[in-house]
Amino acid sequence: MNATSFLKRKFPLAILLLGILILPLLSPPPYLIHIITFIFIWSYITTVWSYMGRFHLVSLGHGAFLGIGAYISILLFNYYNISPWIGMLLGGMGAALIALILGYACFRFGVIGDYFALVTLALGEVVALIINAFRDVTGGSLGMTLKSVGTSFYYFQFEKKIYYYYVSLVFLMFALFLWQIIDRSRIQKALHAIGEDEIAAASIGIRIIRYKLFITLISAFLTATGGVLYTQYMTYVNPETLSGVGVSLAIPFKAILGGMFHLWGSTIGTAMIVSLEEYIRIMYGARFIGISQVFYGILLVALIIFLPKGLYGTISDYWQKRKRISEEQPKMKLGFLR
Amino acid sequence: MEQLILSATLNGILLGGVLALLVFGLNLIFGVVKIIHLAYGQFVMLGMYIIFLLMTTYKMNIFIASLISCIILGLLGILLQMIVINPLLKSPRLNQLLALAGLIIIFENMAMVLWGADYRGIKLFLPVIHFGFLFVRTSYLVAFIGAIITLLGLNLFLNKTYVGLAIRATAQDLDSTQLMGINPKWVYLITQATGGILSGIVASFFMPIYTVHPHFGSAFTLMAFIIVILGGMGNFLGGFISAFIIGVVTSISAVLTSTEIADSIALIIFILIMLVRPQGLLGIRESR
Repeated sequence: MNATSFLKRKFPLAILLLGILILPLLSPPPYLIHIITFIFIWSYITTVWSYMGRFHLVSLGHGAFLGIGAYISILLFNYYNISPWIGMLLGGMGAALIALILGYACFRFGVIGDYFALVTLALGEVVALIINAFRDVTGGSLGMTLKSVGTSFYYFQFEKKIYYYYVSLVFLMFALFLWQIIDRSRIQKALHAIGEDEIAAASIGIRIIRYKLFITLISAFLTATGGVLYTQYMTYVNPETLSGVGVSLAIPFKAILGGMFHLWGSTIGTAMIVSLEEYIRIMYGARFIGISQVFYGILLVALIIFLPKGLYGTISDYWQKRKRISEEQPKMKLGFLR
Repeated sequence: MEQLILSATLNGILLGGVLALLVFGLNLIFGVVKIIHLAYGQFVMLGMYIIFLLMTTYKMNIFIASLISCIILGLLGILLQMIVINPLLKSPRLNQLLALAGLIIIFENMAMVLWGADYRGIKLFLPVIHFGFLFVRTSYLVAFIGAIITLLGLNLFLNKTYVGLAIRATAQDLDSTQLMGINPKWVYLITQATGGILSGIVASFFMPIYTVHPHFGSAFTLMAFIIVILGGMGNFLGGFISAFIIGVVTSISAVLTSTEIADSIALIIFILIMLVRPQGLLGIRESR
């Protein structure tokens, strides 16, 4: 690839990034900044989920990791005044530990496909139930509010939303960057082979358990940090929004509707779903309680039926097909003339 | 303490009967259409609302109301198969799962729009029987007997009728069934209708026990799934037995600790069994 085509390819991306970076300087309404920050945070979590999802390692229990990360960090901060940056690390390690135990057991005993999805679904619910059970410490389903210390980088709390905007952007960029690194490494090839056919992959000497555990641990750790990011931004956690079945299914929803096999798929899916949700809520939410959610649900089901590869996946497949046709066309003409 | 545990065991067995009732329809759909029907609990919720509506607004008898709700849910099952599941039969399992999760959002909020978020129940007082220190709620006992009758009826339907034979054949081997001249599309429709009717039956037996609210279904769906998979997908007897296991385990551990811990113990048992015997207690391992 030469320099000009590289620039040409990256040009729209650079413009987009520049636009995102200078947007806050144009003093937009705070609501817009809030929504974009929200999209960044959930895109980060969804991208991290699709590290596993793209290799057919479908986890429906990422709510467990979100909940573990968020609650470890908030409990340490509220009770012992430990900085959420350290809490983020410890929360991530806690989530990775759970992922290690469950993941090793699953991969060792050959629990794959639907069974893996169902086991992880149960895990998400277990974490939600345990948070509820220790309601003296965690506040149960009433949730827990973050102690306020004003603006302090050490305690990862800012009074203005704009800081979170940039911080979550950095997180999202990191997740996308890591995706690229994984995509270009040996790991991607090994996991791709495992995802296609595990027994065949094992027969050519790929260490299945090791590779699968590696990606699971990375995904769990980063998801937990996403949980901490969410907690610091919202300054409130509760088991319903961070673990349990609802959120565990909402993450794959976003990934699938964007196209989980592509780098930008999760981000686009999240942007689409979050803005759709907000739009419907603002347009219809005040008039009839609940009707907005009905529309939202109908749209989701319709999108799943008509765009099975996700928005980005469908569009990029379409473009590739067009490109292939337009490349083949001149050759055919030449052959005809000759 | 022994008395407490003994009565918890008895209640657990009765709860197992209630859960077993819940599991039949799910098991049938799981076995035949091979789809994880996440919105099954929401079907039961809708059925309970229909019974509630018919009994309060139209002053109907509970038996007639239950019958009508069974018919409506059967039709809803057919609609579900035609509109949502048929286009998704060939797509990845995750897409099917998420489409049904989308249906949960639709059904729950529809109920919220139509009936509001209040808890609704019917006024039906069934006595509590007691033998010595053991107290038995008649409504649970009725549901328990109902579960056994439904299991027998379902067994007759699947084993003694031609349609039942077609359903079982489709569950076992789709390709050979098509060679025998059975159209799987029809079998799927009939299965979904049966599943809907079964959820109507569940709703009628649940009506005297629980009060209904829009999020009623989600409380049961996960537990119902665990039971289905624990017993072996599509295996009715396995589902029946594991319903009792889960019922007894949750009610004894709820007495000893708290309900949340009891539920998580059930889930952890599920995870452990999944690791050792992914095909379920009575399932047959498919060759991979």
